Amino acid sequence: MSISRRDLLKGAVVAGAATAVAGAAEAREAVEPSPDAVGMLYDSTLCIGCRACVTRCKEVNGLPHDRGDGEYQQPVDLNGSTKNIIKEFKDGEKRALMKQQCMHCVDPSCVSVCMMGALHKEGYAKRHLEGERKGSGIVLWDKYACTGCRYCQIACPFNVPKFEWASAFPSIVKCELCRHRRDERRSDVYGLANPGCCEACPRQAVVYGERAALLSEARRRIAAEPERYQAHVYGEKEGGGTQVLYLAPAGVTFANLGLPDLPDGSSAQFSESVSHAPYLHGVTPIALYAAMAGAIWWNHRKDADRHGKEDE
Amino acid sequence: MSAHPHPRAIGGRMFDPLMKTLLAIFGVSALFMAYRFTAGIGAVSNMTDGFTWGIWEPINVVVFTGIGAGAFGVGLLCYLLNEGRYHPIVRPAVLVGAICYTLGASSIVVALGRYWNALLLPVVPHWWNLASALLEVAICVMAYVAVLWVEVLPSVLDGAAASSSPRWSAFGRSWGPRLARAMPFIIALAILLPTMHQSSLGGLMLIAGPKVHPLWHTALLPALFLISCLSMGYGAVVVLVTLLRYAWSARHDQKLLAGMSKVNAGLLIFYVALRLADVAWHGKLRYLGWNFVTFVFFLELALFLAPAFMFLSPGVQRNRGKLFGAALLSVLAGALYRADTYMTVYRPAGWSSTGEAIPSAWQYFPSLGETVVTVGMAALGVAIFLFVSRKFPVVVVDATRERSTLGGGRIRAAQSR
Repeated sequence: MSISRRDLLKGAVVAGAATAVAGAAEAREAVEPSPDAVGMLYDSTLCIGCRACVTRCKEVNGLPHDRGDGEYQQPVDLNGSTKNIIKEFKDGEKRALMKQQCMHCVDPSCVSVCMMGALHKEGYAKRHLEGERKGSGIVLWDKYACTGCRYCQIACPFNVPKFEWASAFPSIVKCELCRHRRDERRSDVYGLANPGCCEACPRQAVVYGERAALLSEARRRIAAEPERYQAHVYGEKEGGGTQVLYLAPAGVTFANLGLPDLPDGSSAQFSESVSHAPYLHGVTPIALYAAMAGAIWWNHRKDADRHGKEDE
Repeated sequence: MSAHPHPRAIGGRMFDPLMKTLLAIFGVSALFMAYRFTAGIGAVSNMTDGFTWGIWEPINVVVFTGIGAGAFGVGLLCYLLNEGRYHPIVRPAVLVGAICYTLGASSIVVALGRYWNALLLPVVPHWWNLASALLEVAICVMAYVAVLWVEVLPSVLDGAAASSSPRWSAFGRSWGPRLARAMPFIIALAILLPTMHQSSLGGLMLIAGPKVHPLWHTALLPALFLISCLSMGYGAVVVLVTLLRYAWSARHDQKLLAGMSKVNAGLLIFYVALRLADVAWHGKLRYLGWNFVTFVFFLELALFLAPAFMFLSPGVQRNRGKLFGAALLSVLAGALYRADTYMTVYRPAGWSSTGEAIPSAWQYFPSLGETVVTVGMAALGVAIFLFVSRKFPVVVVDATRERSTLGGGRIRAAQSR
C-alpha cells in the first residue's frame, strides 16, 4: 500500500511542478496588431450623450428598439438587441460619458476560447468564408459555427458578447464594426467597414480609421491639451491592446468609465501558454498513453498467468 | 474459483418506490427542459449575460464529472499500480463514472444555446480551434463517455453469458473474452482522457483572469482541478460502496476502503499545501481579511483538511460510519472548490486590486427551473445506476448476507460460478 501511495503522490508532485514550470518556459507569443487593423477612437470629452450613435447602430444593424410597456425605452446596457450604448459616469462634480461596444481586441479572449472559430478575426475563420479579407482585425461572428456555449461571455473582460436569452434559436450579438456597410469599390478603410455610430456622431466624439492613425491622433490630442485629458490612451496596451481606443477627461479614471484595469499581456496569451505547455505539442499525451497501455497490458498478462495457474 | 469475487445482478423489483420517485423527479425536470427548448434558456433560468453559465455548467458538468472521477481514480490504483484487490469496486465505480459523465454531457446539450451546431463538433476536426480549452474538454469528454460505457460492457456481456437465451448467451461468451483482450488499451485511454479534461476544466477559468478572485485564479488551476477530481472520486467510491452495503448487502471491505482513503488523505493534504504555497508565493495573502471571500477560502481549506485527518485516524479507518462521513466531506470539499471557482468568486465586472468585487448590475441566484433540471439529472443518474445494477452483474455481494434491505427482494445470482 505504502508504495502505491508514494507513487501517486510523486506523480501528483511531478504533474503540478511540470504545469508550473512549463507554463513559464513554453509561453505562447504575444500578438502584435496588424498594420492594416481598423478601429475607432472615442473621446469622452467630446461626447455630449445625444445617443445618435445608439439609434443609428440599431437602424443599420436591423436591431429592434427596446420597448418596455410599448413605449420606446433607452437600453441600460448592451444586450441581445443593443450592440452600442452610451453610459454616464457621475460622482459629485465629476461627470463623464462612455461609449461601449466591442473593443475588437488585438488578441481577443473570445476568439481564443471559441470552439469552432465562430468568433474570429476577419479572414481567420476555421471554416472557409467567402469574401473575408485578412488584416482588418475585425472580430466577426459566424452563426454556422457557434454552439451557443457562451464561453465568450465568460472570457471577454469587457462583457461585450450578448446572448438572446428569450429565443429558442439564439444568436451571439456584438458589434462587428459595421463590416456589412463597407464599400467594396474603395481601397481605403471604408472598403473594410463603415461604422454607423461614427457616421452619426455630430461631434466626431467617435471616429473610424486605421488603428495606428487613431493611436497617433489620440496621442496628439493629449499632447496638445494635457489639462483636458487623462494622460493615457486606453487600449494601446491593455489586455494585449484593443482596436477601439479611449480618451478620458482629466480627473476621471478609465475604471470610472467601466473599463477594467487589465495587465499589458492578453488573457489569451496567458491561458494558452499555461494550458498548452504540459502537452509539449501533443507529445505528452501520446507518450503517456503508450507508457500506460504498456504497463496495464503487462500487469494484465501477469494477472492472467497467475489466475490461470490457480484455476488449474 | 478465480481470485476475484464475482459481481452479481441484484435483481428484485425494478419499479420500487425509490425508482418511481426518482423517475417522477426526472419527469418534472424534463418538462422544464422541454420548455427551455421552446422558449429559450432565459425562460427557465436566472442566467444573464453576466452570469452566463448559471449552475448548469458548474454543477452538472464540473461537479458531476468530479464525482464520476471515481472510475479514473480506482482505475489508476487497480490497473496502473496493479493493486488487484481494488477489483471488486471497479465495476460500480466505472458505472457511476459512465453515468455522471453521460449526464454531464447531456446537460451541456440543454445548456448550449445553439446545440444543433454542436452536432458538428465531432465531424469537423478542421474547424477545431485547438487553442480553446473548452474544445479540449468537449472532445475529451465525448470520447471518455464512449470509453466509460465500453468499460461497463464486460458487466453486460457477463450478464449476457449467464442469460437463459441461447443466442444472447453465445453472444456474451464470444465477445466477453475479445473485449477482455482489448481492455488494457481501453483502460489506458480511460486514464489519459480524464487526466487531460479534468485539468482542462480548471484551465477553462484561466482566461477569465480579471473575473475570478485572485485567491482562486492561478496558473495552477489545471493541477488543482486534477487533484480535486481524484479526491472527489475516491470519496464518492467510499460513499457509494457504503450505501450499496446498506441497500443490497454489497461487499464492503473496510480495510480496502481505508487504504484507498489514505491515498485520498495524501491528495487532500497535497491540494491544501499547493494552494497555500501558491497564494503565499504570489503575495496574495494580502487579500485575506475580515470578509466573505476569506471565509469561503478557509471553509474550502477546512473541508479539504478535515477528511484528510479523519482518513489518517485509525478510529475512522476502522469505523464504517465515520469513514463514510469523511468520504462525504472529501466529495463536498472538491465540489465546493469547483462551484466556488465557477460561481461564488466569479464576478462579471471583476475584482479591484484590493480584492473587492467591482459592482455590476448583474445578480445571480439559480432559478427553480435551473435547480429542478440539475436535481432531475442527478435523480436520473441514480435511477440508471439502480437499473443497470439490478439487471447486470456490477456489484459484488457478500455470499453470507443474502437478504436485501431495500426493495425487499432476494438477491438473484446472475452467475453460477
